[in-house]
Amino acid sequence: MGSSNVTGQAYAFMAMTPVKPAEEAALADYLHRLRDRGPSPLAKLERTHFGRFLIVPDFHNDSSWKQRREEHLDMPYLIFTSNFDGDLDSYLDELCEQLAPEAKEIWGRCVGCPESAKGAALKTYLKRNQIDTGVFFAAYGDATVATVKRRLGQREQMIEFARTSQGLGAEALQQAFLERFGGTS
Amino acid sequence: MSVQASSGGPITATGTGSRNHHGQAIAITVFSTIKWWGRVFLPLLFLVTRRLPRLTRTLRKLSFIHFARWTIVTHPAYNGPPQRNGKLRYPHMYFESNFNGGWEEYIDAFSHILTSGMTAFWGSSYGFPKPLPTALFKAYIQVNETEADHYYSAYPQATSTMIQRALELDAKLAPLKLEAERMEPGAFAVAYRNFLTDVQHCL
Repeated sequence: MGSSNVTGQAYAFMAMTPVKPAEEAALADYLHRLRDRGPSPLAKLERTHFGRFLIVPDFHNDSSWKQRREEHLDMPYLIFTSNFDGDLDSYLDELCEQLAPEAKEIWGRCVGCPESAKGAALKTYLKRNQIDTGVFFAAYGDATVATVKRRLGQREQMIEFARTSQGLGAEALQQAFLERFGGTS
Repeated sequence: MSVQASSGGPITATGTGSRNHHGQAIAITVFSTIKWWGRVFLPLLFLVTRRLPRLTRTLRKLSFIHFARWTIVTHPAYNGPPQRNGKLRYPHMYFESNFNGGWEEYIDAFSHILTSGMTAFWGSSYGFPKPLPTALFKAYIQVNETEADHYYSAYPQATSTMIQRALELDAKLAPLKLEAERMEPGAFAVAYRNFLTDVQHCL
C-alpha cells in the first residue's frame, strides 16, 4: 500500500462500495439512526480519530461547465473513510470483529459483500474496495487518539491548577504541583 | 459535474447540515470532475506536495483543520453484477476535511490564505470558478458537496487548536515535571512562573 495514505503515524483509509439496488434508502436510514442508538459504533475502534459514512447517489451534471459528456454512476456508492492510528491491517482486523453487528447492516447492503460481513472475509472486501489517498494532511499526525485525549485532560488540569494555585507560597506551590503532576508523563 | 447529495439534514448555525456535525467537529465532503489534463497534472501535484510540503505548511496556518485529504477516483473496484465493470469516463477528485468553526469561515479562510494552492488543486475540475471572489466558490462547493450520513469524532469537544496547544503544553511541561522534585522551592516558583508565561497561549 502506498505511503500516500500515511502522515506521521496516522493513516487515511477510504473504501467505496456499490450499494445494492433498492437498499439505498434502508442504508441511509440505518446510518442516520446510529446517533439515536447511543455512541457511534466507530467509538468501539479506539484508534479512530474521525470517521464518516456517506452515500453518493449519482453524479450531478451541469451543462454550463462545458463538460463534453455527462457521467452517471451505475448505482449509489457507499463511501467510508477513517483517519486512524497505526497500520491498516490491524485496524481492519479490529473493525471487522468489533463492528460485526453494524457491518452486516452497512456493508451487508453493498454488492459483493460476503454473507457473514465480518472477520477476514469483510477485511478482504474492504481492502479490495480501498482507494489510495493522493495527499493526506494531519495537523497532529504523530499523536494517537489516546495521546490527544490524555493531553487534553492534562491541559484542563493545568488550567485548573494555574487558577487555584494563585497566591500560594513557594513551598506550597511546589508541593501542590508535585501532587498534581509529579511522577506523570 | 458534481455529486448529488442525498437528502440533507437541517442546516445548522455553522452553515452546514446537522449530520456533518459531531460536537465541535464538522465534516465537509466534496467531489469534483477532473478535465483531461488533470489526469496527468494532479498525480504530479500530489507527488510534489508530499515531497515538498509547502502547501501543507500553509494548511497548518489554518489551525482549525484536524485532518484533510485529496483523492483521485478513476475506477471503483468491481464487485460483481449488477455493478458495471469499467473505468469512470472522467477521473473525480474526492476531498474531505475535518475541521471546527463555521462552514462559511472555513471556505473564506481556504480561499484567502490558500488562493494559489486551491487553484492548483481544483483548477483542473470542471466548473471551478477560482477561489476569489468567495461567493462563487462557495456556490461551487455547495453544489459539489455531499452531506455525511454518519460522522464521528473521537474528541468532539475539542477544537484542532485546543489539541495542538495541549500537545505543545505537554512538551513544555515535561521538563518541569522532571525537575520539580529536585528543585528548591524558591527556584521552583521562579521556574513555574516562567513556564506559565511561556505557555499562556496554550491555556
